[in-house]
Amino acid sequence: MSVDQELVQRVQAGDKKAFDLLILKYQQRIVHVITGFVHDPVEALDVAQEAFIKAYRAIPRFRGDSAFYTWLYRIAINTAKNHLTARARRAPLLDVDIEDATYAYEAAALKDFDTPESNLVRDELEQAIHKVIASLPEDTATAIRLREFEGMSYEEISVVMECPIGTVRSRIFRAREAIEAKVEEMMGAE
Amino acid sequence: MAISVNEHELLSAFIDGELQGGELDIVLNLLATNPEARKRLNRYQFGSDVLHEHYVVNPDLDLAQDLANTLAAESTYSATDTKEKVTAQIIPLKQNFWKQATGLALAASISAVAVVGVMNNSQYQAEIPLADAGNNNIQQVASAGGQRWTVGEPEVAEQLNTYLVDHNEYAGSNGAFSYARVVSHGYE
Repeated sequence: MSVDQELVQRVQAGDKKAFDLLILKYQQRIVHVITGFVHDPVEALDVAQEAFIKAYRAIPRFRGDSAFYTWLYRIAINTAKNHLTARARRAPLLDVDIEDATYAYEAAALKDFDTPESNLVRDELEQAIHKVIASLPEDTATAIRLREFEGMSYEEISVVMECPIGTVRSRIFRAREAIEAKVEEMMGAE
Repeated sequence: MAISVNEHELLSAFIDGELQGGELDIVLNLLATNPEARKRLNRYQFGSDVLHEHYVVNPDLDLAQDLANTLAAESTYSATDTKEKVTAQIIPLKQNFWKQATGLALAASISAVAVVGVMNNSQYQAEIPLADAGNNNIQQVASAGGQRWTVGEPEVAEQLNTYLVDHNEYAGSNGAFSYARVVSHGYE
């Protein structure tokens, strides 16, 4: 049984903390997906929260026919679409000219999450992390690459690298520590 | 509160879905009791999400924290919530069972009627001499005894028996009644 399945079963059995872990695991992906529909970052976070609440309410009916993320992804997409539909139907609060209202709506929609500044930060961050990986000892770099880019399990990596699974786990952990230190350096701590 | 290297390693393994045995309990407990562990897990996950290019530029995003109050107000599920769902799935099977049982009961009843009919018919055939089998007359019918209409008026009795003789055949060829036979005695 996968960790996700185990967490889902725990939520279904009444362990709310298990759902926290699922949120922490998938929040970045979900917000990222929703941002593709809802271009306003604040709205995207609101929609993501709504999607997670819907997922929590629907989780007793989740049978595990698909992966948890696939199921959550569908909920997120539907929530984002419903949000856009509701927003389009929402009457303007003030008595404004229809052309002004249309312009205001389109302007809001065009307020992209991907501003030049945020794109620059993203590019710098990604390059920095790739540099960090490249600077790691070869075994450590290979382990994290096989895991993150090839999607291999620890067991598969241990076969490829001819080492115990415990060693793979340690190498990947060390790579994550190095990446985390770089993120901390660039983004700062809150 | 500081966390050990082993605990860090557990958090990293969680990101990869590679926890073993009871390690998930340790992670859940760690996250519930140690804010530093929560932050570290978030950062590990963020680093992984950056490599997959599906992230927003906020490494300390914590929707779980933001949703804590909302989720606290939501109902807590129990194993019975899931069991109810399973019970609901069985309903069609029950309906199917009764449908099948009804069909079998109907088939058994019809078979019994057919068997009784055949037995009665055999009795009647046995009492007809072979040489006279084609010669159905009143005498033969009378020997069948008790299997014909006996009403006060002979004309009515004759009409009824004639009707039964006319219908002394397999009662249709479709469905369950193809196995039933109307058996009677009378003029033919």
